[in-house]
Amino acid sequence: MNPHDALEHILTAAQKQGVESAAAGFTRSHKRMVRFSNNSVTITSSWLTETPTVYLVSNKRRAACMVEEQNPEGLKAVVEELARTMKVTPEGDVDFTLPQGPFQYQPIQGTFDEKIAQGETELIDAVEAGVNAAKKEGAIRVSGVVTSNTRERYVSTSTGAEGSDKGTEIEMTIRAFTGDDASGQGITVATNLQQFNPEEAGRCAGHIAKMALTPETGQAGKYNVVFAPSIFANILNRVSDSTSAYTLELGFSFFQDMLKSKVASEAVTLHDNSRFPYGPGSSTLDDEGYPTQDNALIESGVLETYLHTSYTATKHKASLTGSARFEAGIGGMVPTAGNIILKAGESSLEDLFDQAHDGLYITNNWYTRFQNYQTGDFSTITRDGVFEIKNGKLTHPVKGLRLSDNMIRILQSVKALSKEQHWIRWWEVETPTLTPYVLVEGVGITTAKK
Amino acid sequence: MEEELAREAVDHALRLGAQYAEARVQRDLGHTYTLKNGAAEPVNVTRKVGIGIRVIVDGVLGFASTNSLDRGQLRSTTESAVRTAKASKRLVTSPIRLSQEKSWEDNWEAKMKVDVRDVSPEEKYELLSTIEKSLTPENVHVSLPSRILIFDEDLTEKFYVNSEGSKLHGFVPHLSLLFFLTAQEPGKGVAQRLRHEAQSRGWEVVEDWKPKEIAADDAKMLGRLLREGVPPPKGDVDLVLGSEVTGIICHESCGHPQEADRILGREAAQAGESYLKPDMVGHRIGSEHVTIIDDPTLPHSYGFYLYDDEGVKARPRVLIQEGLIAAFLQNRETAAELGGVSNGASRSSSYDREPIIRMANTYMKPGNHSLEELIEGVGNGIYMKNFMEWNIDDRRYNQRYVGLEAYMIENGRITTPIRNPILEITTPGLYGSVDAVGKDMEYAGATCGKGDPMQGAPVWTGGPPIRLRKIRLGG
Repeated sequence: MNPHDALEHILTAAQKQGVESAAAGFTRSHKRMVRFSNNSVTITSSWLTETPTVYLVSNKRRAACMVEEQNPEGLKAVVEELARTMKVTPEGDVDFTLPQGPFQYQPIQGTFDEKIAQGETELIDAVEAGVNAAKKEGAIRVSGVVTSNTRERYVSTSTGAEGSDKGTEIEMTIRAFTGDDASGQGITVATNLQQFNPEEAGRCAGHIAKMALTPETGQAGKYNVVFAPSIFANILNRVSDSTSAYTLELGFSFFQDMLKSKVASEAVTLHDNSRFPYGPGSSTLDDEGYPTQDNALIESGVLETYLHTSYTATKHKASLTGSARFEAGIGGMVPTAGNIILKAGESSLEDLFDQAHDGLYITNNWYTRFQNYQTGDFSTITRDGVFEIKNGKLTHPVKGLRLSDNMIRILQSVKALSKEQHWIRWWEVETPTLTPYVLVEGVGITTAKK
Repeated sequence: MEEELAREAVDHALRLGAQYAEARVQRDLGHTYTLKNGAAEPVNVTRKVGIGIRVIVDGVLGFASTNSLDRGQLRSTTESAVRTAKASKRLVTSPIRLSQEKSWEDNWEAKMKVDVRDVSPEEKYELLSTIEKSLTPENVHVSLPSRILIFDEDLTEKFYVNSEGSKLHGFVPHLSLLFFLTAQEPGKGVAQRLRHEAQSRGWEVVEDWKPKEIAADDAKMLGRLLREGVPPPKGDVDLVLGSEVTGIICHESCGHPQEADRILGREAAQAGESYLKPDMVGHRIGSEHVTIIDDPTLPHSYGFYLYDDEGVKARPRVLIQEGLIAAFLQNRETAAELGGVSNGASRSSSYDREPIIRMANTYMKPGNHSLEELIEGVGNGIYMKNFMEWNIDDRRYNQRYVGLEAYMIENGRITTPIRNPILEITTPGLYGSVDAVGKDMEYAGATCGKGDPMQGAPVWTGGPPIRLRKIRLGG
């Protein structure tokens, strides 16, 4: 379907239904993936998807639809159904309208690579390079996934915003094993083939897996922990989620009533920057047609802003942040980060081990869950290589550990950050995150009791 | 029309050189109604339809999908599945094979007595408003600053055809009621409860849920917990777990590690592997009281289906039999590798996802004890009725469940509420400690995440209350 026709059909139908304001979206995505395990390709996949979206606002009521039926009648029928339903929907809590356009959208450097869009064999080549590099480091079994995506996005609103952008992404997660309980992970994420480095990801995974061989069972206690980028990106995704004004509304944020408060140590400066050059999550406009921007979430430890859509911004009397993202599910349009950027520090990784003196180096995690979203009490499980630090040096690998702590306490106990930063996105890190290695003091670690 | 397109895709794939092909047209129609603190959130509609094509070409598995049901686009999608599979051949050291299975032609569905499509949006909001009205501070004796109430319906229709002669049409309506309550007491902090009731049936299910009663009961429980809750005791205790906790345990540390694709390493880089090896059928993992079953055919269950997404007839699977590993969850790929036949565990969440091994409704087989009898058998211990936080390592060995509604047991009787008791334990440690199993079954709805790209599968987790001996609480 022609994107511009789809947008016009949606907005025309909305106008005929007397809707106060409407945002129409259209995304065309061509995604390809190769998965592999035990050094062998397990499946190749490709997806070609065109997705129109509809968001309507009228009389304090909202309605949203993701529709994949590819015809004008289908789009019109959806808008009519939404408008009908809105008329019988209980009243919402905010009278607002979508951002008044038109807007100018400034291009962002390095978000599209024609070679990815036209590529055919680079995913297979990446698998071969990654697996061979991991095996060269000593890996016995190697598993992972490599994905590329080419997308075009179009947004048009009844309030005069109209724009589009396009982007490419390519990423690989590779996990190497030297034993059943000895593994390591490597990641490479980029918007272009030049910065995509599957060989380095494979080498990193293989190196950690080799170091992790024959782990000892770890002990519970409080530790100084050096976090590698993969695990800290997972934590930062939860931090970023908690800055979403919609998350606050739902009671899922540990930043309730903390605006302008000190929520982290002075070493922490965290931005959501959807305009970051070469950022995998960069885009010029949000799904309400508002231009994206660089949002300082935490500046030298102080919580500076929540992320907003036009609904939450009106309710909280705040400025728009260019963060509106269409969500199929509850919310319809919710504030979401594009690229999460944790400012680098001055240390080398070895400096961080030295400053930790005695503690742990944790390379990865999974399965983060909250005991209480508002207090931030949570636990997450270490995965892949975990190493003990003694007198500032890595000694032996350990296993069986769970990080059980509080998000605010972790942020407030950040002591130092590395100069080196890495882009992370994988199965456990949804929003692309650029983060250094991070030293945190006194982290709670627990173990199974039986 | 859709049947014709699916057949054409399969035929085209075979002409292009595939030795096996299947096509699935899937249509998902979803509506979500939400009240947040009494005010309406956006009504959200999802209309997702498209076709997924899976092929085997010279031992390589290829998958492609599109949401354009145009013939030209469909041919090009089929060609993409075959072409990318061929291009990967040089990196395939373990060629993919599928087990030999019977072919089926059938129409099946989970029936609705009252078609949810005939129920007006007003009635669906009325359901949520009624719950909201039951949550006043006067009624529940606690302040609830955040109340999220959701009614969700997702109607899934699938047409499946494969090159071996199977032709299946299925329809399942998934209905859910979710609520998330945050309670607050001055000087005592906050407590939160997430609850998910779900079934595959029509609007008649709403009566069964008793929505007003369960929401108000949960709110009152949160208030009492905040006002009276004390820290959990130290040292070894006996533990009685409620059905909700039994259910999540069966899902996390029995169902997942017994998925054969994990055991064979296919999910290693994402959802992880398993502490089990292919030759561990018959291995003792728990006491003789523990029998765990996964059954997709349970009427009205959230994980209900009668044929899986490889066209294999669904059946109950006994995963642990009296403490011994009895079977793994299998699809046709793992069955061929391990030698045997599939037990029909292959599902995909939408047209654009490959079918992979999934649980359906995983539960512990009930025993003979009432809850009172289980409690009476404990001198001093803890009753953990439900939970909030939980997680488990990626080999499914080291797990943690943090109790929400929990009480001291003193001299065989439930007494004071306790806050956040932590069960942090290994899989054999847990199942080996079970000394009695209750008789009263309950099931909770859940959406299980697995696969890459992620697939959320509707499941039930369930079981009766169970009793564990000599557990040291964590934290």
